[in-house]
Amino acid sequence: MEKMKKWIVGLASVLVLSACGSSGDNTVTMYTHNDEEEMQSFASAVEEETGVNIDVLRMSSEEAWSRIDSEYPDVNADMMWGMLHSFALVAEEEDMLEPYESDTWDDVPDEFKDPDGQWYGWSYWFNAVAINEDLLDELGLDRPESWEDLLDPQYEGEIVLPDPGTSGTAFLFVSTLMQEMGEDEAWDYLDELDNNVGQYSQSGSAPAQMTSQGEYAIGITWDQAIFDRMEEGYPIDIMIPEEGVGFDLDVAWIFQDADNQEAAEEVIDFIGTDEGMELAAEYRSMVTKPDVEGTIDFEPNLIDYDAVWAAENRERIMNEWQEKFD
Amino acid sequence: MSELTEQTSVPIKKKAKVEKGFLAATWGIAALLFAFILAPVLAVFVQSFGIGNGGFTFEYYARFFSNPSYFQALFNSVAAGTVSTLIILMIAIPFALYVTRSNTYLSKTYRGIGLLPLVAPPFIFSLALIILFGRRGVVSQWIADFTGIEISIYGFWGVVIAQILGYFPIAYMMIESSMRNMNPSLEHASQDLGAGQGRTIRKVTLPLAGTAILKAGLIVFVMALADFSNPLIIGGGENFLASDAFLLVTGQQNLEMAAVLGVFLVLPSFLVFLFQTYILKDHEVATTTGGANNPLHPKVKAAMFGVSTVMALFIVVMFVMVVMSAFVQIIGINNELTLDHFSDTSGWGFLWNSVIVSFFAALLAAGLGILQGYMTARKNVPMKKLTEFTALFGLAIPGTVMGIGYVLIFNGAPFFLTGTIFLLVMNMAFRKIGVGLEAGISKMQQLDVSLEEASSDLGSGPYHTFRRVVAPLLTPAFMAGFVYTFMTSMVSVSSVIFLISPGTNLAAPYILNLADQAAVGRASAMSFILIVIVLACMGLLKLIERRSGTSV
Repeated sequence: MEKMKKWIVGLASVLVLSACGSSGDNTVTMYTHNDEEEMQSFASAVEEETGVNIDVLRMSSEEAWSRIDSEYPDVNADMMWGMLHSFALVAEEEDMLEPYESDTWDDVPDEFKDPDGQWYGWSYWFNAVAINEDLLDELGLDRPESWEDLLDPQYEGEIVLPDPGTSGTAFLFVSTLMQEMGEDEAWDYLDELDNNVGQYSQSGSAPAQMTSQGEYAIGITWDQAIFDRMEEGYPIDIMIPEEGVGFDLDVAWIFQDADNQEAAEEVIDFIGTDEGMELAAEYRSMVTKPDVEGTIDFEPNLIDYDAVWAAENRERIMNEWQEKFD
Repeated sequence: MSELTEQTSVPIKKKAKVEKGFLAATWGIAALLFAFILAPVLAVFVQSFGIGNGGFTFEYYARFFSNPSYFQALFNSVAAGTVSTLIILMIAIPFALYVTRSNTYLSKTYRGIGLLPLVAPPFIFSLALIILFGRRGVVSQWIADFTGIEISIYGFWGVVIAQILGYFPIAYMMIESSMRNMNPSLEHASQDLGAGQGRTIRKVTLPLAGTAILKAGLIVFVMALADFSNPLIIGGGENFLASDAFLLVTGQQNLEMAAVLGVFLVLPSFLVFLFQTYILKDHEVATTTGGANNPLHPKVKAAMFGVSTVMALFIVVMFVMVVMSAFVQIIGINNELTLDHFSDTSGWGFLWNSVIVSFFAALLAAGLGILQGYMTARKNVPMKKLTEFTALFGLAIPGTVMGIGYVLIFNGAPFFLTGTIFLLVMNMAFRKIGVGLEAGISKMQQLDVSLEEASSDLGSGPYHTFRRVVAPLLTPAFMAGFVYTFMTSMVSVSSVIFLISPGTNLAAPYILNLADQAAVGRASAMSFILIVIVLACMGLLKLIERRSGTSV
């Protein structure tokens, strides 16, 4: 018994010591919707360059927003790196953000950042469709070329779409349709598409992965999720629908009353540097710094997406979505 | 024995005065039980009526009944729980019969395999099932090639199968221990009187194990009902109560509606809990160990062996799938060996967090549970029934409900506790404190009061007696509570997923997040490490236990 007590006390103290030791002073806490893989690479680059250690929690965009909104004004994170532009606009409106003027962002065009430095757009991404051609052949289906094609009954049960209730990718898709077709037409489209959807996934990247693994032939997702899988050797292809796709600026910001404001500022600075942008460009189709080339080598057919409209109408659209499809 | 305890416990009862220290401990534990078990559940209940968000209303209940998808969630959860439970029992009974009634190397191996799912996060079976039976899974392809039938594991039946694999060990453990402790002379008597083996099993063995089987069934049902992660991964968008409640909170921040779903999750658990604690308790069949269990008739044995083998193989295949997909590029598509999935820097940090949180939760749950058990069994402390009830009820509350309750109470002013390691520890500890308590009470009932009396006659004060006499004797109960809490905390997700934050993320929710991004290889790699760590920790505990000469 005595021995055992010693063992336990010993173990406990080792654990306590290491628990306290592991979190240094120069740590910034962060929410993100970036995929784990790229975020880990970003985090280690930041640590190497600035000595700032990043503790990150990854969620789907809508989940992250819902969390921020419910925690505000005591948000459990110092900053955000990787979020929808629309949410930055809402957050700015609700006075959640801490302005910071970062010098490294000087040569980034004004359209990609807030004039007061409340948020910074570091890259942009767009909707795209992942297609498993092997599977299409096997099932004897035609390759779709447009959003309209996806309504063809031949694809019944073969499409995977993220749930706009959790995924920013899906919200971009839905609000793109609304802006292009008009709301009523867009709802009709979604209604019809619902017949062909085999599954609604929680995360916006999941459809690319599921299409890659051959679970579904067609996945509505975003560009980089597809490029990553293609690079890993999965038998999929990217399809940009003829009607065009919506794109969204991916932003970073600092929350008001962040515990470690200084470290968060260092991270914002880092993102704006050439190194930061070049690193981001390894994972994203397009970054916002002129002259830094992203991963894309063709001209995607982007529509003139209105993020302000999306921010203003998001709640209403989401509620209607839930009533119709949940 | 029971008469003896009865007699000797009388003087203690007369001595109604309880030492100040134990009284303080009682109030302390009661306050903690209230804060970390009762209050969160009450908060969910209150929230479901919209109180706290502008007055009392039945609106959310009305919405629950008017919206078919919520009702569908209730139906799916109950139906999946019922089907899983029945199938688990149909497998667990022969499995336990086989394992307890044969003494070969194989049966011992089966015993271990039967418990294996306990050390894995409950949703990894969903992942493995998708690899095998997904729309283009390995097995699905064969089936499609040979029969032309396309199968899809997504949806209701996928959830059921994942639940069967995940919750099997719980039922199996309970049924096995009851069959192991059964007096074999009863079966002998039956057979000596001319009943065949089948008849003996039906008329003697199963009725004797009846309470254990019923209990196991109820517990598995409650767990399956509260299952949150399998519907998320393999449910294919079908509605289930716990996962819908989770999505309502995280995706839509609709705490009121989530609370209503929570109430429908808690109610069945609560009823089962009441039934089990107050009705089944008195029907416990006295069992004694009297030599080895009765061996089985070859024909019966073959049948039992067959069922057990299928189940054991199924479990092993699932684990093999997880290990394989952890070590190859993309299982089924590019089977090249790789260690890429293990180069996950943040994952290792989260594993470490999990170990720390689970360790302290286990320490707290076992320590407080045992102390409370001792006081419940021996001291005339106030609120005995209430505190015991609360601690045990903590075991039955669905994790999702606890999580939502914690968010409601501890998020923001005045506590600001969400996202802290402290709250994670408290959550895990108080969900499991009932195990330590039960172990403590049952151990105290086995111990004769005379030991403590002797100590006090020899001049020891009550605290000294507790420290030097009772505490050492309770060590095995402590270890049991500790091991169980540690193991379950390492792999639990449903509650802590609401409470993690940057810097306090844990391994199991992280793996769920990976699975949610459909990153099967990395999710498998992390699961693999998690399983190895849990097994290693158990090994370490066994070692400590052997070194210090105590037994679990």
